[in-house]
Amino acid sequence: MSRRQVKGDYIETETGNKVSRKANLLGTQNMVLGGKVVIQPEVMIRGDLVRTAPSSSSSGGTTAPSTTAIQTGRYCFFSKGVVLRPPGRRYKGQFSHMPMRIGHHVFIGQDTVVQAATIGDHVRIGKNCVIGEFAIIKECVEVLDGAVVPPNMVIPNYSIVAGQPARVVGEVPEGGGPEENGLRGLYSTVGNNPQNPDM
Amino acid sequence: MSTAKRQSTVPAGPKPPVNFSSTVTIPKDAVLQGTHSITIQSETLIHPRARLDSNLGSILVGRRSIVQERAQIGVEPQNIDAAVPGGVSLGDYVVVEVNAVIEAGGTEIGDGSVVQVGSRIGSGAKIGKDCTIAARATVAPGTVLPDQTVVLSNGQQRADKRLADARKLSTLKQINVVRKMIRNDQDKFK
Repeated sequence: MSRRQVKGDYIETETGNKVSRKANLLGTQNMVLGGKVVIQPEVMIRGDLVRTAPSSSSSGGTTAPSTTAIQTGRYCFFSKGVVLRPPGRRYKGQFSHMPMRIGHHVFIGQDTVVQAATIGDHVRIGKNCVIGEFAIIKECVEVLDGAVVPPNMVIPNYSIVAGQPARVVGEVPEGGGPEENGLRGLYSTVGNNPQNPDM
Repeated sequence: MSTAKRQSTVPAGPKPPVNFSSTVTIPKDAVLQGTHSITIQSETLIHPRARLDSNLGSILVGRRSIVQERAQIGVEPQNIDAAVPGGVSLGDYVVVEVNAVIEAGGTEIGDGSVVQVGSRIGSGAKIGKDCTIAARATVAPGTVLPDQTVVLSNGQQRADKRLADARKLSTLKQINVVRKMIRNDQDKFK
Protein backbone atom coordinates (compact mmCIF):
# COMPACT_ATOMS: atom_id res chain seq x y z
CA MET A 1 0.00 0.00 0.00
CA SER A 2 1.45 3.29 -1.03
CA ARG A 3 1.31 6.17 1.36
CA ARG A 4 -1.31 8.71 0.41
CA GLN A 5 -0.87 12.44 0.51
CA VAL A 6 -0.89 13.88 3.97
CA LYS A 7 -4.01 15.88 3.33
CA GLY A 8 -5.88 12.95 1.80
CA ASP A 9 -7.52 12.66 -1.55
CA TYR A 10 -10.97 12.52 -0.03
CA ILE A 11 -12.96 14.69 2.29
CA GLU A 12 -14.77 12.57 4.83
CA THR A 13 -17.82 14.07 6.42
CA GLU A 14 -19.33 13.29 9.79
CA THR A 15 -21.93 11.04 8.25
CA GLY A 16 -19.22 9.07 6.48
CA ASN A 17 -19.55 10.51 3.02
CA LYS A 18 -16.29 10.32 1.10
CA VAL A 19 -16.01 13.09 -1.42
CA SER A 20 -12.99 13.30 -3.67
CA ARG A 21 -11.21 16.63 -3.69
CA LYS A 22 -11.15 16.36 -7.46
CA ALA A 23 -14.92 16.18 -7.80
CA ASN A 24 -16.82 19.23 -9.09
CA LEU A 25 -19.73 19.87 -6.83
CA LEU A 26 -21.77 22.95 -7.58
CA GLY A 27 -24.38 24.25 -5.21
CA THR A 28 -23.41 22.01 -2.30
CA GLN A 29 -25.97 23.77 -0.12
CA ASN A 30 -28.69 22.16 -2.23
CA MET A 31 -27.42 18.60 -1.93
CA VAL A 32 -28.33 16.02 0.66
CA LEU A 33 -26.00 13.05 0.84
CA GLY A 34 -27.48 10.21 2.85
CA GLY A 35 -24.28 9.07 4.57
CA LYS A 36 -21.49 6.73 3.49
CA VAL A 37 -21.78 8.05 -0.04
CA VAL A 38 -18.66 7.83 -2.20
CA ILE A 39 -18.02 10.54 -4.76
CA GLN A 40 -15.01 9.73 -6.90
CA PRO A 41 -12.77 12.18 -8.79
CA GLU A 42 -14.21 14.10 -11.76
CA VAL A 43 -17.77 13.53 -10.70
CA MET A 44 -19.88 16.57 -11.43
CA ILE A 45 -23.03 17.26 -9.45
CA ARG A 46 -25.18 20.22 -10.39
CA GLY A 47 -26.77 21.17 -7.12
CA ASP A 48 -26.97 24.74 -8.37
CA LEU A 49 -29.78 23.89 -10.75
CA VAL A 50 -32.56 24.25 -8.22
CA ARG A 51 -36.26 24.25 -8.67
CA THR A 52 -37.55 27.69 -9.52
CA ALA A 53 -41.19 26.94 -10.12
CA PRO A 54 -43.28 28.07 -7.17
CA SER A 55 -43.18 24.84 -5.21
CA SER A 56 -46.80 23.88 -5.86
CA SER A 57 -47.76 26.82 -3.69
CA SER A 58 -50.34 28.02 -6.18
CA SER A 59 -52.14 24.69 -5.93
CA GLY A 60 -51.67 24.29 -2.18
CA GLY A 61 -49.87 21.13 -1.09
CA THR A 62 -46.43 21.01 0.39
CA THR A 63 -45.54 23.80 2.73
CA ALA A 64 -41.77 23.54 3.00
CA PRO A 65 -40.13 25.38 0.12
CA SER A 66 -37.63 22.69 -0.58
CA THR A 67 -34.53 23.88 -2.32
CA THR A 68 -32.91 20.47 -2.38
CA ALA A 69 -31.78 19.81 -5.92
CA ILE A 70 -30.23 16.39 -5.37
CA GLN A 71 -30.90 13.94 -2.59
CA THR A 72 -29.22 10.56 -2.18
CA GLY A 73 -29.60 7.66 0.20
CA ARG A 74 -26.98 5.67 2.09
CA TYR A 75 -24.09 3.81 0.45
CA CYS A 76 -24.37 5.39 -2.97
CA PHE A 77 -21.31 5.10 -5.14
CA PHE A 78 -20.65 7.57 -7.95
CA SER A 79 -17.74 6.45 -10.12
CA LYS A 80 -15.26 8.64 -11.91
CA GLY A 81 -16.71 11.03 -14.47
CA VAL A 82 -20.35 10.70 -13.47
CA VAL A 83 -22.54 13.74 -14.07
CA LEU A 84 -25.67 14.19 -11.95
CA ARG A 85 -27.91 16.92 -13.24
CA PRO A 86 -31.44 17.71 -12.11
CA PRO A 87 -33.85 17.45 -15.03
CA GLY A 88 -35.58 20.54 -16.29
CA ARG A 89 -38.77 21.18 -18.20
CA ARG A 90 -41.47 23.72 -18.83
CA TYR A 91 -43.99 23.71 -16.08
CA LYS A 92 -47.01 25.99 -16.27
CA GLY A 93 -45.34 27.97 -18.99
CA GLN A 94 -42.12 28.49 -17.06
CA PHE A 95 -38.92 26.55 -17.20
CA SER A 96 -37.85 24.92 -13.98
CA HIS A 97 -35.50 22.23 -12.83
CA MET A 98 -36.94 19.50 -10.67
CA PRO A 99 -35.23 17.77 -7.77
CA MET A 100 -33.52 14.44 -8.36
CA ARG A 101 -33.93 11.72 -5.76
CA ILE A 102 -31.61 8.75 -5.48
CA GLY A 103 -32.28 5.82 -3.13
CA HIS A 104 -29.99 3.73 -0.95
CA HIS A 105 -27.25 1.44 -2.27
CA VAL A 106 -27.16 2.91 -5.76
CA PHE A 107 -24.10 2.33 -7.89
CA ILE A 108 -23.41 4.49 -10.94
CA GLY A 109 -20.61 3.50 -13.32
CA GLN A 110 -17.96 5.59 -14.99
CA ASP A 111 -18.86 8.51 -17.26
CA THR A 112 -22.59 7.98 -16.94
CA VAL A 113 -24.79 11.05 -17.23
CA VAL A 114 -27.89 10.95 -15.05
CA GLN A 115 -30.82 13.32 -15.48
CA ALA A 116 -33.42 11.05 -13.93
CA ALA A 117 -36.20 12.23 -11.67
CA THR A 118 -36.03 9.27 -9.30
CA ILE A 119 -33.73 6.30 -8.86
CA GLY A 120 -34.88 3.63 -6.41
CA ASP A 121 -32.91 1.59 -3.89
CA HIS A 122 -30.36 -1.04 -4.93
CA VAL A 123 -30.15 0.18 -8.51
CA ARG A 124 -26.98 -0.57 -10.41
CA ILE A 125 -26.16 1.55 -13.45
CA GLY A 126 -23.24 0.57 -15.67
CA LYS A 127 -20.65 2.75 -17.29
CA ASN A 128 -21.16 5.11 -20.23
CA CYS A 129 -24.91 5.17 -19.78
CA VAL A 130 -27.19 8.10 -20.37
CA ILE A 131 -30.26 8.32 -18.17
CA GLY A 132 -32.66 10.72 -19.86
CA GLU A 133 -34.54 13.55 -18.25
CA PHE A 134 -37.36 12.61 -15.89
CA ALA A 135 -36.71 8.90 -16.20
CA ILE A 136 -37.96 6.97 -13.18
CA ILE A 137 -35.98 3.91 -12.21
CA LYS A 138 -37.68 1.78 -9.59
CA GLU A 139 -35.96 -0.51 -7.10
CA CYS A 140 -33.38 -3.22 -7.77
CA VAL A 141 -33.02 -2.35 -11.44
CA GLU A 142 -29.86 -3.10 -13.33
CA VAL A 143 -28.90 -0.84 -16.24
CA LEU A 144 -26.21 -2.45 -18.34
CA ASP A 145 -23.17 -0.62 -19.74
CA GLY A 146 -23.77 1.84 -22.55
CA ALA A 147 -27.55 1.92 -22.23
CA VAL A 148 -29.38 5.08 -23.24
CA VAL A 149 -32.53 5.37 -21.17
CA PRO A 150 -34.86 7.73 -23.02
CA PRO A 151 -36.44 10.71 -21.28
CA ASN A 152 -39.56 10.01 -19.20
CA MET A 153 -39.07 6.23 -19.27
CA VAL A 154 -40.33 4.36 -16.21
CA ILE A 155 -38.39 1.19 -15.46
CA PRO A 156 -40.25 -1.28 -13.20
CA ASN A 157 -38.76 -3.11 -10.20
CA TYR A 158 -36.28 -5.93 -10.80
CA SER A 159 -35.77 -5.17 -14.51
CA ILE A 160 -32.55 -5.44 -16.46
CA VAL A 161 -32.37 -2.83 -19.20
CA ALA A 162 -29.89 -2.37 -22.01
CA GLY A 163 -29.52 -0.91 -25.48
CA GLN A 164 -29.90 2.37 -27.32
CA PRO A 165 -32.68 3.21 -26.63
CA ALA A 166 -32.87 1.12 -23.49
CA ARG A 167 -35.41 -1.68 -23.30
CA VAL A 168 -36.18 -4.21 -20.63
CA VAL A 169 -34.16 -7.29 -21.57
CA GLY A 170 -34.63 -9.42 -18.50
CA GLU A 171 -35.40 -9.70 -14.87
CA VAL A 172 -33.07 -9.67 -11.90
CA PRO A 173 -33.27 -13.22 -10.47
CA GLU A 174 -35.26 -13.50 -7.28
CA GLY A 175 -33.11 -13.73 -4.20
CA GLY A 176 -30.04 -13.03 -6.29
CA GLY A 177 -28.86 -10.96 -3.43
CA PRO A 178 -29.17 -7.36 -4.49
CA GLU A 179 -29.54 -6.71 -0.76
CA GLU A 180 -26.05 -5.41 -0.37
CA ASN A 181 -24.68 -5.57 -3.94
CA GLY A 182 -21.25 -5.14 -2.48
CA LEU A 183 -21.50 -1.41 -1.93
CA ARG A 184 -20.61 -1.62 1.73
CA GLY A 185 -17.44 -3.44 0.77
CA LEU A 186 -16.76 -1.00 -2.01
CA TYR A 187 -17.23 1.88 0.39
CA SER A 188 -14.47 0.67 2.64
CA THR A 189 -12.01 0.35 -0.25
CA VAL A 190 -11.91 4.05 -1.05
CA GLY A 191 -11.08 7.09 0.97
CA ASN A 192 -8.03 8.19 2.86
CA ASN A 193 -7.45 4.90 4.65
CA PRO A 194 -8.65 2.34 2.15
CA GLN A 195 -9.16 -1.14 3.50
CA ASN A 196 -7.99 -4.16 1.65
CA PRO A 197 -10.95 -5.34 -0.45
CA ASP A 198 -10.18 -8.96 0.45
CA MET A 199 -10.84 -8.42 4.11
CA MET B 1 5.17 15.20 -3.26
CA SER B 2 2.47 17.67 -2.74
CA THR B 3 1.78 20.79 -4.66
CA ALA B 4 1.61 23.94 -2.66
CA LYS B 5 -1.65 25.17 -4.05
CA ARG B 6 -4.16 22.92 -5.66
CA GLN B 7 -4.94 23.95 -9.20
CA SER B 8 -8.60 23.67 -9.98
CA THR B 9 -8.12 23.88 -13.70
CA VAL B 10 -5.40 22.99 -16.15
CA PRO B 11 -2.69 25.64 -16.16
CA ALA B 12 -4.02 27.99 -18.76
CA GLY B 13 -2.14 28.61 -21.95
CA PRO B 14 -2.38 31.93 -23.68
CA LYS B 15 -5.86 33.36 -23.48
CA PRO B 16 -7.64 33.21 -26.81
CA PRO B 17 -8.95 36.48 -28.21
CA VAL B 18 -12.58 36.56 -27.21
CA ASN B 19 -15.51 38.52 -28.50
CA PHE B 20 -18.50 38.34 -26.19
CA SER B 21 -21.80 40.06 -26.31
CA SER B 22 -22.51 41.81 -23.01
CA THR B 23 -25.50 39.50 -22.44
CA VAL B 24 -23.48 36.29 -22.58
CA THR B 25 -23.45 34.23 -19.38
CA ILE B 26 -20.19 32.39 -18.83
CA PRO B 27 -18.93 31.17 -15.45
CA LYS B 28 -15.30 31.35 -14.46
CA ASP B 29 -14.80 27.60 -14.56
CA ALA B 30 -15.65 27.34 -18.23
CA VAL B 31 -12.48 26.57 -20.18
CA LEU B 32 -11.51 28.66 -23.17
CA GLN B 33 -8.25 28.02 -24.90
CA GLY B 34 -6.58 28.36 -28.25
CA THR B 35 -5.10 30.93 -30.52
CA HIS B 36 -7.95 31.81 -32.87
CA SER B 37 -10.85 33.99 -31.88
CA ILE B 38 -13.83 32.79 -29.88
CA THR B 39 -17.04 34.68 -30.56
CA ILE B 40 -20.12 34.20 -28.44
CA GLN B 41 -23.24 36.10 -29.43
CA SER B 42 -25.96 37.58 -27.30
CA GLU B 43 -27.94 35.77 -24.61
CA THR B 44 -25.96 32.57 -24.97
CA LEU B 45 -25.39 30.48 -21.86
CA ILE B 46 -22.22 28.52 -21.16
CA HIS B 47 -22.26 26.05 -18.27
CA PRO B 48 -19.31 25.45 -15.92
CA ARG B 49 -16.59 23.14 -17.26
CA ALA B 50 -17.67 23.53 -20.84
CA ARG B 51 -14.60 23.59 -23.04
CA LEU B 52 -14.11 25.74 -26.11
CA ASP B 53 -10.85 25.21 -27.92
CA SER B 54 -9.83 27.46 -30.80
CA ASN B 55 -6.40 25.98 -31.47
CA LEU B 56 -7.44 24.73 -34.90
CA GLY B 57 -9.73 27.54 -35.97
CA SER B 58 -12.08 30.21 -34.74
CA ILE B 59 -15.18 29.31 -32.75
CA LEU B 60 -18.51 31.00 -33.28
CA VAL B 61 -21.47 30.39 -30.99
CA GLY B 62 -24.68 32.02 -32.14
CA ARG B 63 -27.38 33.80 -30.21
CA ARG B 64 -29.47 32.15 -27.48
CA SER B 65 -27.53 28.93 -27.51
CA ILE B 66 -26.66 26.67 -24.59
CA VAL B 67 -23.38 24.83 -24.09
CA GLN B 68 -23.67 22.46 -21.15
CA GLU B 69 -21.01 21.22 -18.76
CA ARG B 70 -18.20 19.08 -20.16
CA ALA B 71 -19.23 19.71 -23.74
CA GLN B 72 -16.14 20.13 -25.87
CA ILE B 73 -16.22 22.38 -28.90
CA GLY B 74 -13.36 22.58 -31.35
CA VAL B 75 -11.42 19.49 -30.31
CA GLU B 76 -8.74 18.00 -32.49
CA PRO B 77 -10.25 15.53 -34.99
CA GLN B 78 -9.78 11.84 -34.22
CA ASN B 79 -8.69 11.14 -37.77
CA ILE B 80 -6.12 13.84 -38.25
CA ASP B 81 -5.30 12.86 -41.85
CA ALA B 82 -8.79 13.57 -43.13
CA ALA B 83 -9.06 16.78 -41.18
CA VAL B 84 -9.38 20.11 -42.90
CA PRO B 85 -8.37 23.39 -41.34
CA GLY B 86 -11.07 25.51 -39.80
CA GLY B 87 -13.02 25.99 -36.63
CA VAL B 88 -16.56 25.43 -35.49
CA SER B 89 -19.63 27.52 -36.14
CA LEU B 90 -22.81 27.06 -34.12
CA GLY B 91 -26.01 28.82 -35.18
CA ASP B 92 -28.67 30.41 -33.00
CA TYR B 93 -30.71 28.38 -30.48
CA VAL B 94 -28.25 25.51 -30.61
CA VAL B 95 -28.08 23.27 -27.53
CA VAL B 96 -24.90 21.27 -26.95
CA GLU B 97 -25.54 18.88 -24.07
CA VAL B 98 -23.29 17.25 -21.45
CA ASN B 99 -20.18 15.44 -22.73
CA ALA B 100 -20.92 16.17 -26.40
CA VAL B 101 -17.85 16.58 -28.59
CA ILE B 102 -17.70 18.76 -31.69
CA GLU B 103 -14.52 18.40 -33.69
CA ALA B 104 -12.89 21.37 -35.36
CA GLY B 105 -12.40 21.67 -39.11
CA GLY B 106 -15.10 23.85 -40.64
CA THR B 107 -17.83 22.11 -38.67
CA GLU B 108 -21.19 23.86 -38.86
CA ILE B 109 -24.34 23.34 -36.84
CA GLY B 110 -27.51 25.03 -38.03
CA ASP B 111 -29.99 27.10 -36.03
CA GLY B 112 -32.15 25.27 -33.52
CA SER B 113 -30.23 21.99 -33.59
CA VAL B 114 -29.68 19.92 -30.46
CA VAL B 115 -26.56 17.85 -29.90
CA GLN B 116 -27.53 15.50 -27.10
CA VAL B 117 -25.56 13.93 -24.25
CA GLY B 118 -22.30 12.27 -25.20
CA SER B 119 -22.62 12.50 -28.97
CA ARG B 120 -19.74 13.26 -31.30
CA ILE B 121 -19.79 15.45 -34.40
CA GLY B 122 -16.95 14.74 -36.81
CA SER B 123 -14.68 17.30 -38.34
CA GLY B 124 -16.20 19.27 -41.22
CA ALA B 125 -19.74 17.95 -40.72
CA LYS B 126 -22.47 20.35 -41.83
CA ILE B 127 -25.62 19.92 -39.80
CA GLY B 128 -28.76 21.66 -41.00
CA LYS B 129 -31.33 23.59 -39.03
CA ASP B 130 -33.48 22.05 -36.29
CA CYS B 131 -31.66 18.73 -36.33
CA THR B 132 -31.40 16.39 -33.35
CA ILE B 133 -28.31 14.34 -32.73
CA ALA B 134 -29.49 11.80 -30.17
CA ALA B 135 -27.56 10.75 -27.08
CA ARG B 136 -24.28 8.95 -27.81
CA ALA B 137 -24.77 9.16 -31.57
CA THR B 138 -21.84 9.81 -33.86
CA VAL B 139 -21.87 11.95 -36.98
CA ALA B 140 -19.01 10.97 -39.27
CA PRO B 141 -16.55 13.64 -40.42
CA GLY B 142 -17.72 15.55 -43.48
CA THR B 143 -21.36 14.42 -43.25
CA VAL B 144 -23.92 16.88 -44.60
CA LEU B 145 -27.31 16.60 -42.91
CA PRO B 146 -30.41 18.32 -44.34
CA ASP B 147 -32.63 20.45 -42.11
CA GLN B 148 -34.78 18.70 -39.49
CA THR B 149 -32.87 15.42 -39.49
CA VAL B 150 -32.78 13.16 -36.45
CA VAL B 151 -29.71 10.99 -36.03
CA LEU B 152 -30.42 8.15 -33.61
CA SER B 153 -27.94 6.49 -31.31
CA ASN B 154 -27.60 3.52 -33.65
CA GLY B 155 -26.78 5.76 -36.62
CA GLN B 156 -30.20 5.64 -38.30
CA GLN B 157 -31.53 8.89 -39.69
CA ARG B 158 -35.01 10.15 -40.23
CA ALA B 159 -36.81 13.40 -40.84
CA ASP B 160 -38.39 15.32 -37.99
CA LYS B 161 -41.77 16.73 -39.00
CA ARG B 162 -42.48 18.53 -35.76
CA LEU B 163 -42.49 22.26 -35.62
CA ALA B 164 -39.26 23.58 -34.23
CA ASP B 165 -40.62 26.81 -32.80
CA ALA B 166 -41.73 25.21 -29.55
CA ARG B 167 -38.26 23.92 -28.94
CA LYS B 168 -36.72 27.33 -29.52
CA LEU B 169 -39.15 28.85 -27.06
CA SER B 170 -38.19 26.18 -24.53
CA THR B 171 -34.52 26.93 -25.04
CA LEU B 172 -35.13 30.61 -24.52
CA LYS B 173 -37.11 30.03 -21.33
CA GLN B 174 -34.43 27.72 -20.06
CA ILE B 175 -31.74 30.33 -20.70
CA ASN B 176 -33.71 32.99 -18.90
CA VAL B 177 -33.99 30.84 -15.78
CA VAL B 178 -30.59 29.20 -15.70
CA ARG B 179 -28.61 32.37 -16.36
CA LYS B 180 -29.66 33.57 -12.92
CA MET B 181 -28.17 30.44 -11.33
CA ILE B 182 -24.77 30.68 -12.95
CA ARG B 183 -22.40 33.33 -11.78
CA ASN B 184 -21.34 35.30 -14.78
CA ASP B 185 -17.65 36.03 -15.02
CA GLN B 186 -17.00 37.37 -18.48
CA ASP B 187 -14.12 39.53 -17.36
CA LYS B 188 -11.91 36.58 -16.58
CA PHE B 189 -11.69 35.72 -20.25
CA LYS B 190 -10.98 39.20 -21.55
